[in-house]
Amino acid sequence: MQSSDLKREIKQLLVSELNLAGRDPNSIDDEAPLFGSGGLGLDSLDALQIAMLVEEKFGIRVPEGDEARPIFRCVGSLAEFIAKERDAKSNPEGGGAPR
Amino acid sequence: MIVLTGLGAVTALGSTLPSTWERVLRGERAFSKVSLFPADGYRVDLVAEVPSIDRIDSTRPGAPADFSRTSELAITAAREALAWAGLAGRQAHGSRRIGLVVGGSTAGMLETEMHLAVGLGPDGAGPVAHTVREEQLRRMLSHPLSAPTDRLARELGPFTRVRSLSSACSSGANAMLVGASWLELGLVDVVLCGAADALCRVTLSGFNALGALDPEGARPFDRRRRGLTLGEGAGFVVLERSEDAAARGIDAVCSLRGWAAGAEAHHITNPEPTGAAPSRAMTAALARAGLTVADLDYVNAHGTGTPLNDLMESKALVRVLGAEHIARVPVSSQKGQFGHTLAAAGAIEAAITALAIANGIVPPTGGLEEPDPECPLRHVLKTESRPIRAALSSSFGFGGMDTVLVFGRADLPASPAASRGRPARARSVVVTGAAVITPAGIFEGQEVATVPERVCAEDAITFDLAPELDLDRARRLDRGSRLAAIACGRALGRAVGAGPCDAGVVLGNAFGAVDGTAGFMRRLGEKGARLASPADFPGLVPSSPAGYVSIYLGLIGPTLVVADLAASGECAVTQGYELIAVGETDRVAVVAVEEKSTIVDQVFRVVFAPDEHRSDVAKDDRPRRREGAAALALAAEDAAVAQQLPILARVVEVRSWWNDDPLAAAPKPPADASRAIVVMGTAGAATDALLEHAGWGLCRRVVCADQAGSHEAVGGIAVAVGAATFAADPTVDEVLCVGMARGSGYAISLARWSARPS
Repeated sequence: MQSSDLKREIKQLLVSELNLAGRDPNSIDDEAPLFGSGGLGLDSLDALQIAMLVEEKFGIRVPEGDEARPIFRCVGSLAEFIAKERDAKSNPEGGGAPR
Repeated sequence: MIVLTGLGAVTALGSTLPSTWERVLRGERAFSKVSLFPADGYRVDLVAEVPSIDRIDSTRPGAPADFSRTSELAITAAREALAWAGLAGRQAHGSRRIGLVVGGSTAGMLETEMHLAVGLGPDGAGPVAHTVREEQLRRMLSHPLSAPTDRLARELGPFTRVRSLSSACSSGANAMLVGASWLELGLVDVVLCGAADALCRVTLSGFNALGALDPEGARPFDRRRRGLTLGEGAGFVVLERSEDAAARGIDAVCSLRGWAAGAEAHHITNPEPTGAAPSRAMTAALARAGLTVADLDYVNAHGTGTPLNDLMESKALVRVLGAEHIARVPVSSQKGQFGHTLAAAGAIEAAITALAIANGIVPPTGGLEEPDPECPLRHVLKTESRPIRAALSSSFGFGGMDTVLVFGRADLPASPAASRGRPARARSVVVTGAAVITPAGIFEGQEVATVPERVCAEDAITFDLAPELDLDRARRLDRGSRLAAIACGRALGRAVGAGPCDAGVVLGNAFGAVDGTAGFMRRLGEKGARLASPADFPGLVPSSPAGYVSIYLGLIGPTLVVADLAASGECAVTQGYELIAVGETDRVAVVAVEEKSTIVDQVFRVVFAPDEHRSDVAKDDRPRRREGAAALALAAEDAAVAQQLPILARVVEVRSWWNDDPLAAAPKPPADASRAIVVMGTAGAATDALLEHAGWGLCRRVVCADQAGSHEAVGGIAVAVGAATFAADPTVDEVLCVGMARGSGYAISLARWSARPS
């Protein structure tokens, strides 16, 4: 999947699953912060929901705690994480992992 | 002065309060892997489970349909408290008017959640045989919030008045607040107050989804803490006036000096980080007790062990106790020992606090080893002996419902300041706004009087609610909460985002989110515990609609849900009235809401024979089951006048009874029957007899269910219609609203309001 497709899918997921009624998924900037003011204004309960959705839709477990912070920064960072994990899954011996 | 004359508790540490207390003092922890149900795939399966005791086995043969682990935990603890107070057995009750207030959140969830997951889908057809399905539907009688209360009342009654409430984890504390208000209003002589919650899959998977459980067991205030441990249990206390206890020769364990409740109006799961609302409640409870922080020798903290709660609570305590007392007053929590027992927590911990005062022993915080420097409290790592003059017990619930109780030694002299702010008699209450939603539309103010004539083409509310809502703020609200929020906003005349308002919320709802729970459970079954929805879970807690209304509208007064089956609407009005009459708050938004649920419809078909439906109308014209919401803004008359609020009606009196002779509780007759009407949700033979007996038999009757449909909130619609009638019809000066559920009833008298001559 192209990274732009993945980002679009994530945006649609956020709007539908977090009930961001009235928000156009296409209007969400890739780099807009998901949390706090000046972005989507999501909170920690949304973060848990997103982590659960990523696991459900993409079969990828999002790390918990501080490790998750940079992943949840914005749609772009979330897409990057998902793409990387997917690559690692489809090519488990790659990525410089020790044999 | 109000005293505690009986205590009882069941926890994972013991099946009686003394056995729990002994092990609490030894610092024991009762955590183990859950055994009540398989928990494969749950991130954390460590719980504090009550060890098997005979009567709580809900699978035992011959158990009545409304039997649940929760109800039996409640009965066990309640029986202990009554025996302690010398009130065991019906004879011991004598002629005393004994009240019963029970808080809860899970009720019969453990017994019904698998049926909801597998058999009783919202689509109506599950893969089970007809007879099995019928039995499953019958077991749903244990599901409503009021079911354990009704069972307890049948087993241990008679009781004069009965109330079921939920404010999530502050339910137990609020049961005591309500019980104390009944004593202060002179409605009862003795009141048994408490709460119970049994573990279930919904709560364990839900708290797992929220990432709120510590895999190593709760460690309140510890720097390594990662969350709470779910427990189960029940706690009950017997409250009465000190002079009554003395007259019957019963020693008081300690006294209940003060109490206060408020809402954070912040977030459905996360505490407001500065602890402003808990601080406000602590200060108000101390003021009501006529005490200061200098009188406090112990704080029994909410102390769940979650990173956010313990930090917030520490901030609140630092602010309230101040530099001088924060280093002196010991603070502990027992949630690292018998777990977080949810609704029961406030009641069990009140009983622990009472024993601490009576014995001069400060119990420790089990599980705490390395105090978090961010929680700079005077922690208790080991049991300490020291006299305790007064102690404070805090309970904070989902949705930001905070309640604080202040207890004192029985011989601690009453402070002259203790009466400050308390009414010598019930304060006069008025209705300042009304709104109703039916399938026919949304009606407000005077227009509400036309609701009984508005024809509903549909059984469900199908029009778009979106234009009524700030969708950003409402995005987490389920449909029932949205209906409630719209109705409350209209009744209060309040714009969304208008800043905090000191009104409280009392929401009447009989069945909770049954279809939502079925959906959550089905997903749990199909996808596993890791994929349980953290966002959907909070909405399944019965108190959540009240929390959502408070958050959505910024209401920071006392907030809770009450339930009484068919009379849930009248029950909410009664509860809201009492909170104002006793001086707990100046304003309350009362709202009754009931959503259409295919599961509830099916339960009704199986449980009630057709002729049991209560209605005046011929069988074929029986009111259809519909859905709706009604809100009333209630205010203390003096506050309404001072704030120049529009006044629709005056509340003359509110009566409620439980299995008593309803005729004995009959309301006063109208002053002029030709200018008085009766407005009811549904009609029936029992209400006919009451109206006849009370002198209202010849008055014109309006039955709301005939158009608005029969459902559990229709009594709320009736009271709203009654309140709106005075403006709409100048020939009416008095309105009586009567509502009955199985075993209980309410009579709410309203009158045309006119300004008193100054």
